[in-house]
Amino acid sequence: MCAESASVWAVFGGQRISMSDSRVKLRQPWLAAFLAFLLPGLGHWYQGRRFKAAIFSAGILVLFGWGQVLGEGQATYSRLVLRTSVDSPQFSSQSPATKASYGFWAQVLVGLPAFPALLQEARFNTVDNSVGFLDAEIRSDFVGALIETTRQGDLRTPVTGTLQVTPTRPEGSRTVQGEFAAVTVDGGTASYRLGGEIQLGRAVFGSPRRSIECRLVDEAGNFLSARIEGTISRSFFNWYMAPLDSQELDRLHGSLSRQYDVAAVLTWIAGLLNLMAIWDAAQGPAYGYGDESRREGDGSGSGGDGSGGGDGDGARAPASV
Amino acid sequence: MDLGLITQAFPLTAIVCLVYCATRFELPEKIVRSALVMFGKTILFLGVAWLLLLWVSG
Repeated sequence: MCAESASVWAVFGGQRISMSDSRVKLRQPWLAAFLAFLLPGLGHWYQGRRFKAAIFSAGILVLFGWGQVLGEGQATYSRLVLRTSVDSPQFSSQSPATKASYGFWAQVLVGLPAFPALLQEARFNTVDNSVGFLDAEIRSDFVGALIETTRQGDLRTPVTGTLQVTPTRPEGSRTVQGEFAAVTVDGGTASYRLGGEIQLGRAVFGSPRRSIECRLVDEAGNFLSARIEGTISRSFFNWYMAPLDSQELDRLHGSLSRQYDVAAVLTWIAGLLNLMAIWDAAQGPAYGYGDESRREGDGSGSGGDGSGGGDGDGARAPASV
Repeated sequence: MDLGLITQAFPLTAIVCLVYCATRFELPEKIVRSALVMFGKTILFLGVAWLLLLWVSG
């Protein structure tokens, strides 16, 4: 097989047939294939096939980006975190059990745009995810509930607001102090002091919201029989394409409905289309150059290496054996 | 019926047809012509299938 020209091998009637066109310069085909995998269209650009490079890069990247936008940036992830208890995996200080996301096997074929998922998987397993430790001040919006413990049981009041907590020691600690400016659903406002031990969701997790639990204290620092449970903002760098759990998937399906499924499918299709583009970079066009029928009509044919002309919708005829 | 999602089938089909045909041929005019034919056939098929499902579910 000549590395300089497009070659397609097929088997017809038990015979191996080569269909190639010397007009297609593949340069180093496997380098081009690798570049095409890294970034759609890059391999073809390297080969000087600029028209196809434009089609592949624009088409595949738009499709992948479109899926990411529809899925609010959460359509691509490499691992699904398994729930092994009633507690959220966000509160698991050790690496929780995960399983592969099969869709990612298609998404990763897009190359670099999907690679952050692999980086986040590594960070998910290696970054210090101490869930009961605060190392720096947190200021964030809060969504959740104020829970008062009474003799009749827990009384939950939905609240939003802003929260500020700092560790009690400059180097970080399990105990914190802070304030919570709450807004209730009926528009009422109140301010509470926070103190005691904090429970924080894992630093790296595939959700824009980070779980938090903290107790309320009075001005003297004595614990009240109340606490807040909810979520605060997680930085984009810590949630984008990171492993997520079924609870987060449920939330996405609840808020986005079928749009989330469409988003995932778009990113899968983008990856699978790039697989064909990678193959094209390595082996050349599957049906031939595209002018075979015209050349054969002229009597010039395409030589002994001509490929089937095709009719534009998938037909291919062997030109030579 | 979510027409917003259905209308997304058009650009999706266009991209799939263009990329697919670009992997079949090398000549730009052949790629574009093949993609247009494939796009037409695919949209026709999807339209017929959609009408059929609409009729069955109606």
